[in-house]
Amino acid sequence: MTQQVQFTKAVGNANEINELLRRYGVKFGIYKNGVFNEQFFPFDPIPRVITAEDFKSMEKGLAQRVNALNEFLFDIYHEKKIVRDGVIPEDFIYISKGYLAECEGITPKNNVYSHISGIDLVQAKDGEWYILEDNLRIPSGASYPLIARDLTRIAAPQAFEENSIIDNRGYAELLKSTMEYVNCGGARAILTPGRYNAAYFEHSYLAELTGSVLVQNDELFVEDNILYHHTYSGGKSRIGVLYRRISDEYLDPLTFLPESLIGIPNLMEAYRSGNVAIINAPGNGVADDKGIYYFVPKMIKYYLGEEPILKNAPTYLPFYEKDMKYVMEHLDTLVIKDVAEAGGYGVVFGSDLTKEKLEEFRKTIIAEPRRFIAQEVIDFLDLPIVEGDETVMRKADLRAFVLSGEKTKVWASGLTRFSRNPDSFVVNSSQGGGFKDTWVLSR
Amino acid sequence: MGTISLEHSDRLYWLGRYTERFFTTMKALGRQFDKMIGTEHGYADYLNCFGLPDIYADNRDFIRRMLFDNGNAHSAAYSLERAYDNGIVLREEISTDSLSFLQMAKDTLTKAEQSSNVRLALLPLEDIVYGFWGSINEHIYDDEIRNIIYIGKTIERLDMYIRLKYPFDVVEKEFIRLLKNLNRVPKGTPYRYSTKYLSDLVEILGTEDDYRQGADKAVDSLGHLFETEEVPA
Repeated sequence: MTQQVQFTKAVGNANEINELLRRYGVKFGIYKNGVFNEQFFPFDPIPRVITAEDFKSMEKGLAQRVNALNEFLFDIYHEKKIVRDGVIPEDFIYISKGYLAECEGITPKNNVYSHISGIDLVQAKDGEWYILEDNLRIPSGASYPLIARDLTRIAAPQAFEENSIIDNRGYAELLKSTMEYVNCGGARAILTPGRYNAAYFEHSYLAELTGSVLVQNDELFVEDNILYHHTYSGGKSRIGVLYRRISDEYLDPLTFLPESLIGIPNLMEAYRSGNVAIINAPGNGVADDKGIYYFVPKMIKYYLGEEPILKNAPTYLPFYEKDMKYVMEHLDTLVIKDVAEAGGYGVVFGSDLTKEKLEEFRKTIIAEPRRFIAQEVIDFLDLPIVEGDETVMRKADLRAFVLSGEKTKVWASGLTRFSRNPDSFVVNSSQGGGFKDTWVLSR
Repeated sequence: MGTISLEHSDRLYWLGRYTERFFTTMKALGRQFDKMIGTEHGYADYLNCFGLPDIYADNRDFIRRMLFDNGNAHSAAYSLERAYDNGIVLREEISTDSLSFLQMAKDTLTKAEQSSNVRLALLPLEDIVYGFWGSINEHIYDDEIRNIIYIGKTIERLDMYIRLKYPFDVVEKEFIRLLKNLNRVPKGTPYRYSTKYLSDLVEILGTEDDYRQGADKAVDSLGHLFETEEVPA
């Protein structure tokens, strides 16, 4: 059966699926001009389909990459051999906002730093997959294809009868076992900043599916170096693993931001003592820094002695003289990313800039070479999207989820995000993008 | 009840109250809709029940604003929105399935506002709210959690019934239901009711005559029965 025919089976029920997604409150929050709005996450019923063969190679490549990144994090917060051996210049470690001196010497349980990694990829028109970025802090998005699959199976069962699609609904079990692998004794908890966080749906949905307690920071406290949850009856309940969905700097005001009103005092001490696991480990930002991205293929060779299976997008670091020269000569065709930004912000396409702006930007890069990376614009595969009565082609990426527990496992699904703007490469939901389910075929 | 926080227990209580306030308001407005046919400003008795001023242009204005105006604290839409606000932070306790009924109710109410026959368009809401309560029963295994929601629900129902001057026998049945719920509250939990206000209620709701004369005091006592504050949205 051709992909187009497979797709049509699901498309036939687009309205039903979107009605169901509404009913189950599949939303994300967004702040615009200081005002919080909750929006339904636009879902496109035509899935992205990944063949079994493609997935097999992608699975190996992703696990390899995440294993190397975990090795890198252990090394950076301990001996820093990779710096000493001259593979990565120390500038890229210590200037990184994600490097936290406070995490020096901490060894998380079972040496896992990035328990849940969100790796963004794109597929070029020649079929080759490229890694766009690694997200090792608090990657979000798994809940959307998870619930969408559940609802699509209700609305379009025939699509699943006629195709051999790997069931992705085991994500909650995978997450639960990943949490349990590092549990230091106690309940599982998911720490949310609260309802007005962009990803609150995901926090509460994953808490429900994994049987974890959903908590906010003021419900937690540390006593005798143990993390507890205040219970309704005035008692306390020990937390053994905390899947936090807040940034490092807000975890513990006694370690990070003393002026912060949020956070759990002494949490880092309890963590350092091995009495609670924090998922993902604080300090991971040093490994998903856009500048460090350039070095990941080198890490794979250095730590694992293997050739990288998945390619990076061709990337240049203006920090290096040779790369700076190339960037200056090709600025109008490259995409420039500010390493400190995320969520699709700080991304500039040279081709979009006027001559004056281009010159202005050139000066900024020369003045702050460490702040930017430059990449070739990959002509990536457009995917079909339903728009009204038509099917149109739009840019889309894929966030793959890799969970590191006893073994490193790649979830046979992922979040496919697409741009709704025909002229845009930016797919982030915060910028108006939508999402699709990702089917991995079993044969 | 090992791991629920105090804030969540308050949210559960207010989830019960607002869901019931929405439901009873809808039903009361449905009856009012019928009573108003053929009369001008036929809603005065409804406003009197709640001590509200008449700020409405006509019957149609009254019914639409009482149903759909989110900014009106006495409207059905307002109560539903507050029920949802409380429910959305309780997903792992009440389940995604239960929460989906509140979302469905919101969507149905929004659609009804555009309908040419509002009363007909509102009918599915009754089924949806019954579905919500069925789902709550189905998904909450912890009796104590369920009991908190039901206490909120029963207190709200009594409050509304007394204000709307329901017959004594109906109010009495609901009061007995509340007493049963209160008996299930374990000793030593912070979720205790005030015995003083409970005694007042027992006295007022003891006979039909006392009920007629003491309705205002009964509403006041219900409001103080739990000295729990509403959690801000």
